[in-house]
Amino acid sequence: MASEEEVSLLVIVLDVNPIWWGQQAQREPEFTLSKCLDAVMVMANSHLIMTRTNKLAIIASTCQESHFLFPSKHWEDATATSGDGKYELLSVANDLIAEEIKALIGRTEVKGNQTDTLLAGGLAKALCYIHRISKQLDAGQDMKSRILVIKAAEDCALQYMNFMNVIFAAQKQSVLIDACVLDSESGLLQQACDITGGLYLKVPQKVALTQYLLWVFLPDSDQRSQLVLPPPVHVDYRAACFCHRNLIEIGYVCSVCLSIFCNFSPICTTCETAFKIQLPHMVKAKKKKVKPVT
Amino acid sequence: MDEEPEIAKRWEGGYERTWEVLKEDESGSLKATVEDILFQSKRKRVIESHGQVRLGMMRHLFVVVDTSRTMDDHDLKPNRLTSTLKLLEFFVDEYFDQNPISQIGIITTQNKRAQKLTDLSGNPKKHITALKKAVDTTCIGEPSLYNSINLAMQTLKHMPGHTSREILIVLSSLTTCDPANINELVKTLQGLKIRVSVIGLSAEVRVCTVLTRDTGGSYNVILDECHFRELLMLHVKPPPASTSSECSLIRMGFPQHIIATMSEQDAKPSFSMAHLDSTGGPGLGFGGYYCPQCRAKYTELPVECKVCGLTLVSAPHLARSFHHLFPLDAFQESPLEELTGERFCQACQGQLKDQSVFTCPVCRTVFCVECDLFIHDTLHCCPSCIHNQGMS
Repeated sequence: MASEEEVSLLVIVLDVNPIWWGQQAQREPEFTLSKCLDAVMVMANSHLIMTRTNKLAIIASTCQESHFLFPSKHWEDATATSGDGKYELLSVANDLIAEEIKALIGRTEVKGNQTDTLLAGGLAKALCYIHRISKQLDAGQDMKSRILVIKAAEDCALQYMNFMNVIFAAQKQSVLIDACVLDSESGLLQQACDITGGLYLKVPQKVALTQYLLWVFLPDSDQRSQLVLPPPVHVDYRAACFCHRNLIEIGYVCSVCLSIFCNFSPICTTCETAFKIQLPHMVKAKKKKVKPVT
Repeated sequence: MDEEPEIAKRWEGGYERTWEVLKEDESGSLKATVEDILFQSKRKRVIESHGQVRLGMMRHLFVVVDTSRTMDDHDLKPNRLTSTLKLLEFFVDEYFDQNPISQIGIITTQNKRAQKLTDLSGNPKKHITALKKAVDTTCIGEPSLYNSINLAMQTLKHMPGHTSREILIVLSSLTTCDPANINELVKTLQGLKIRVSVIGLSAEVRVCTVLTRDTGGSYNVILDECHFRELLMLHVKPPPASTSSECSLIRMGFPQHIIATMSEQDAKPSFSMAHLDSTGGPGLGFGGYYCPQCRAKYTELPVECKVCGLTLVSAPHLARSFHHLFPLDAFQESPLEELTGERFCQACQGQLKDQSVFTCPVCRTVFCVECDLFIHDTLHCCPSCIHNQGMS
C-alpha cells in the first residue's frame, strides 16, 4: 500500500504519425488509432484510480511537434460534470484527450511520406514536465516517475544523438523508460529500456493492446519484482562504423571527435585531424666485438 | 624574478557595503529583493562555451588529498577530512558520468610521505569504497607536495600521448615538506605536459600559484562548503586539450552482452577476469561481456582487458561524451513584459511567472528559468529544435 507521501507520475508518449496510422487502418481495420486511444485511456484511468496521489500526463508525438494531450491548457476551464456517474477526474480527462487529439490530427499537415517518428522531442518535453512537477512537491513527498512510450512507426535515424542525450538525462533523474512497440523493433528504445531499467515489449497481437498495457506496464517499479513479466531483450551494444554503417566488434576511435572507424586511416573524416602512425622501434644492430685470436 | 600579473588582493580593496544590496520598496517589504537574489543564484553559473576548441576527452586524473594535521580542523563540518571525502565521492560519480572513458586515481599525503589510495582505473565503485574507508585515517604530520606529485608522475608519464594528464590537489595545509627543489619538478611537469590544479582549503600559497600557472591549471581557495562543491564541479568538464597533445586512433573493442541461462545447452559458467583480484565471493556467472580479441569475460564495461590490453567500451559510453563536442548554445534572456503571446512555457507546460524568459536562438521557442537550467545542465538538447531537424 503506497503511503500518502509517495507520488507516482506516469507520462505516456504516444506516437501518432498520421501516415503510419492511415496505412494501418487500411491494413487492419480492426485496430485503428481510435482503438489504440481507447486502450491508452483505459490504462490512464486505471493508473489514476490506483492511488489518490497518482499523477498522469499524455503527450502525442508527430514529426512536426509534440503536444500535451493531458494536462492541457484548457484543463482549468473544463467543467466537471459527468453524465454517467463516473469519477469526474476520469470523465474530464477522457473528454479532454479526445478533443485534443482531434485538434492535433486536424492541424497536422501531412508533408511528404515520412513514415518515421521523432520520439526524442516528446521524451524531452516529458522530462521537462517531470522536472517541473518534482519541484512543486510538498515537503516530505517522494516522487517516482516513469515514461511509457507507445511506438508505431519505424525509427528515424537523425535523432540518434538527441535520443541518447534524453536517455542519459532520464537515467540521471532516475526516470524509467518503458517501451510498448506495435510494429517494428526499435534498437534505440531497446537501449533506452536497458539503460534506464524499464521494460521493452513488442506486442504480439495489436488488438489485445489493453491487456498488455494493464498487465505489463501498469505496475510501478516496486511491484515489478513480484510479478512474472516478459524477460529482458538482448540488446546489441555494438557500435556502427562511420564509413560503412556496419556493426563492428573491434574498431578505431578518433581521440578528438570520438568517431568510430573499422579500418585504420591516416585522416579522420569527421574532424580532419591527421593521425600519427605508430612505427615499430628501430633496433640498431649491435656491433659484435671481434675477439682476438690467441 | 619573472614578471607576474598584478592581481589586487582582497585586503587592498575598499570597504564592501553589503547592507546596500537589500532595498525596500514603498511598503517596506523586501520581497522583490529576495526574489531577485534567488533568481540570480539560479543563473549564477556562467555558461562558457568553448566553441570550436579541441577537448581532452580521454582523461587520466590523479586526485591528491591532503590528510595532514590541518584536516582535523572543524571549520568544515564535522571536520575537513570527512567533508572533503564526501564531496570527492560525489565528484567521482559526476566525473564518470561526464567522462565515461576516463580514469581516476587517488593519492593521500601525510607525515611527509605520499601513498596511493587507489590505482588509476575506470571503475567508480572501487574509488568510492576506498574513499568511504579513508574517513577513519588519522590526520598527522605535514603534507608533501613534491612526493605526491612525483608519485602521480610515475604513472602518468607512461600514459599514451593522446590522453590528457591531470593532477588535482586538495591542499589544506599552508606548508609542505619537500625533499628536493620543487621548481625542478615544475620543469619536469611542463616537459611531460601534465596539468596541475589546486583547490586550497585555507589560504593562497605562493608555491601553488607558481605550480598551477606554469603547468596551465587553475588555483582556487574555497570560501565555504558550497563553494568547494562548485569548484570541484568545474573540474568535471573536459578541459581544452593542449596544442601539443597527439591525436591518434585508439583501438577499442565493442563486446556483445551475452545473457545465457542454465537451460541453454552451451552455457557454461565462467569466472569474470575483473574479479580475479578481489576476495569477495567466487564470481562465477553465466552471462557477461566477452572480449572480441581474447574471449576473456568481464561483468562490466568500460574496462581494459587484462589479458590482451584492448580497451572495451560500449557505444553509449562514447555517446555520453558527444554533448561536450556539440554543446547547446545559451538561450537569450529577455524580460517577461516584452513577451507577446501566451505566457506559457513550451517544455513543461507551466505558466511563465519569473522575471525573464529564455528563447532558443534557433527555433524561437520560449522557456522558463527552470527548464532552461534543466536543458543546459542535464538534457543538452532543445526539445523543439529536434522536430525542426527532422523536417529538413
